[in-house]
Amino acid sequence: MLLALIKKEFLALIRDVHGLAALFLMPAIFIIIMSLALKDVYSPSTKALPYAVENRDSGQLADNFLAEWKKRHGSPQANSASWKDEVRGGKLSYVLVIEKDFSRELAAAHPGSGKQLRLIAEPGLESSAFAANNAELIMIANELRARALLAAARMSQRSSQRPLRSGAPDESVPVSALAMIDTERLSAGSRPTAVQQNVPAWLVFGMFFVVASLANLFIQERQCGALTRLASLGVPTSVMIWSKALPYLAINGLQAALMLAVGVWLMPLLGGDALSLAGIHWGALMLVLLAVSMAAIGLALALASLVRTHAQASALGPIVNILMAAIGGVMVPKFIMPEVMQRLAEFSPMNWGLEGMLAVLLRGSDMTGVLIPAAKLTGFATIMIIIAVVFFRRRAS
Amino acid sequence: MLEIRDLSYCYPDAEKPSLTGVSLNAGRGQILGLLGPNGAGKTTLISHLSGILQVQHGAILIDGSPLAVVRRKAPTRIAVAPQEYAFYPMLTVKENLECFAAAGRLGGERKRRRIVECLAFSRLERFVKIRAERLSGGLKRRLNLAIALLPEPELILLDEPTVGVDPQSRAFLLDAVKMIANSGAAVIYTSHYMDEIEAIADRVVILDDGKVLRDGTLDELLRDGVAHMRLAVEGVPVGEMNALLGRFGKVESVGEEWRVTLAHDRTPAELLAAVEKLGGRLKYVEFGRNNLEQLFMALTHRPLRD
Ligand SMILES: Nc1ncnc2c1ncn2[C@@H]1O[C@H](COP(=O)(O)OP(=O)(O)O)[C@@H](O)[C@H]1O
Ligand SMILES: [Mg+2]
Repeated sequence: MLLALIKKEFLALIRDVHGLAALFLMPAIFIIIMSLALKDVYSPSTKALPYAVENRDSGQLADNFLAEWKKRHGSPQANSASWKDEVRGGKLSYVLVIEKDFSRELAAAHPGSGKQLRLIAEPGLESSAFAANNAELIMIANELRARALLAAARMSQRSSQRPLRSGAPDESVPVSALAMIDTERLSAGSRPTAVQQNVPAWLVFGMFFVVASLANLFIQERQCGALTRLASLGVPTSVMIWSKALPYLAINGLQAALMLAVGVWLMPLLGGDALSLAGIHWGALMLVLLAVSMAAIGLALALASLVRTHAQASALGPIVNILMAAIGGVMVPKFIMPEVMQRLAEFSPMNWGLEGMLAVLLRGSDMTGVLIPAAKLTGFATIMIIIAVVFFRRRAS
Repeated sequence: MLEIRDLSYCYPDAEKPSLTGVSLNAGRGQILGLLGPNGAGKTTLISHLSGILQVQHGAILIDGSPLAVVRRKAPTRIAVAPQEYAFYPMLTVKENLECFAAAGRLGGERKRRRIVECLAFSRLERFVKIRAERLSGGLKRRLNLAIALLPEPELILLDEPTVGVDPQSRAFLLDAVKMIANSGAAVIYTSHYMDEIEAIADRVVILDDGKVLRDGTLDELLRDGVAHMRLAVEGVPVGEMNALLGRFGKVESVGEEWRVTLAHDRTPAELLAAVEKLGGRLKYVEFGRNNLEQLFMALTHRPLRD
């Protein structure tokens, strides 16, 4: 019985050309356009990123440096011993590490070869934000060094009352602090590019588009009396729900495969960066995809059971989707949103899915890294399916 | 096999009940015609049997056991061909049959055989590959019926199966319904067309405004109808004619035609003899019993069709 109903669902879906286009073409096109369009200009403000400081230097210049950074980027988060894990997990965007000789070396005419200032960024930090921070770091350090050198030069001038000896020593003094600075992104086996950000975002978005498709077919089925007929033939509610959920689980799987393929193979052909799946944890990816799929299908079933007409379903489905996407960081990345909006984003199931996907694709998370978003999505799916069953039964009686 | 006792039903948001104290019986091998105008409550009655509506008051028994019990144990013993088409428009005829056969727990060889039989029965073989939405009204009706017949139900309910159907399909459908009854199933056939009910029903229940007005065999119902005569006469002045006919029953005149509803103790022969005695020449005479439409008129003082 279940198999026959699943077959029916597939046939109905295949014959719904618009529905198919919405499910497969739309997210693929979004991925391509957004990745190409945002390839280089994706320049979010770096202001609001949460960061921490590890200051091992007690010198004045370190304090000056931090004061300047704070002016530009706000106060740092409290530093904890486990900052490395927090950065790896994306809780902190980056940590500034100031080594103990920073102040001395920065003012020294001939600094040693050791790195004195490090910026360690989370794996998923968007690349232009990373680059901007890097540049700013160098600039501030350069300025501090220049001032320190100048001050030292004036001092020695004043004390010796002699003009500086012509050039020689000064020319050998490097003005740039570049050599002392090291920036790194914690490795995850992959690099964040526009593609790496856009594929998960629009994939999650596209997966949620089964909401409109499923709800519409469901309502059509109800309106044409076929559902009543199935009920009067004694088909249990659970079979009806499974016969809808399973085909769409497969559709979601197909979407995921297609979108990842677009990222890996099509994007480089179009002149974009390629999506890298090297070194990712496939089990974690599957878990996140499965959870997203369940949430989307649950939402679709609940919506279909709640609304009465086609018009309601075809209006409400996309509205819910677009709202979740806008809030959830699909359309606008969460990290460039103001604080309030970032809070709000955490209520969007799409954001949970997106966080899970980014964890896998950018930070190389394993199962433990995606457990929280997966659990949230599964919980959401459960609530939705309960709503669907309750209303389905009420409708049927 | 089906016994409905004192069934009443009121929709949750309705002011007055749609069914009031309805009782009726249907037996195997018989066609029960359920005749009533639009809004009489026919679909409401049928919806109880398909399990869409729960019994609020009264009882429905199948071979002595409550409907709910029978439906839980063997939902496919009862089949409904709903008034509105109930199948998947985007699926072909064959795909629809396969889907509903499986939903009715048919499998393997039996499923294949029933699909072939139902296709043959409803003469849809030529259309198996056509999507249901592209079928004509008559073919859609046949598909609707074929799906209902798939699980070989013992009781089959057809809710206005000929609405929107061309005359050929209609004749075919009526024959098909007779065949279903002949094969031993109990059939309930609802319609607001009295000629259909007259043509196929063994028993007739006349339903109006949620109440049963008459229940009996077609003969019984028509027997207790009053006799009508229609005649046109030359050579007798209108006034005299009116006075003469008035002695035989209720008189109406429409143009040159006289319509007489004969009183119980009068016969057509007496009336004709009296006319001839007055020197009238008969242009034509019609005499017949009531048909269902007239019976319905007599019962409700309203025509059956709006
Ligand atoms: N879902 C409903 N809600 C409220 N009233 C209804 C509903 N369906 C039918 N009715 C009312 O019940 C009465 C009987 O309707 P119905 O059974 O459809 O008649 P029929 O099938 O004989 O044309 C009508 O007065 C109709 O308005
Ligand atoms: Mg009706």
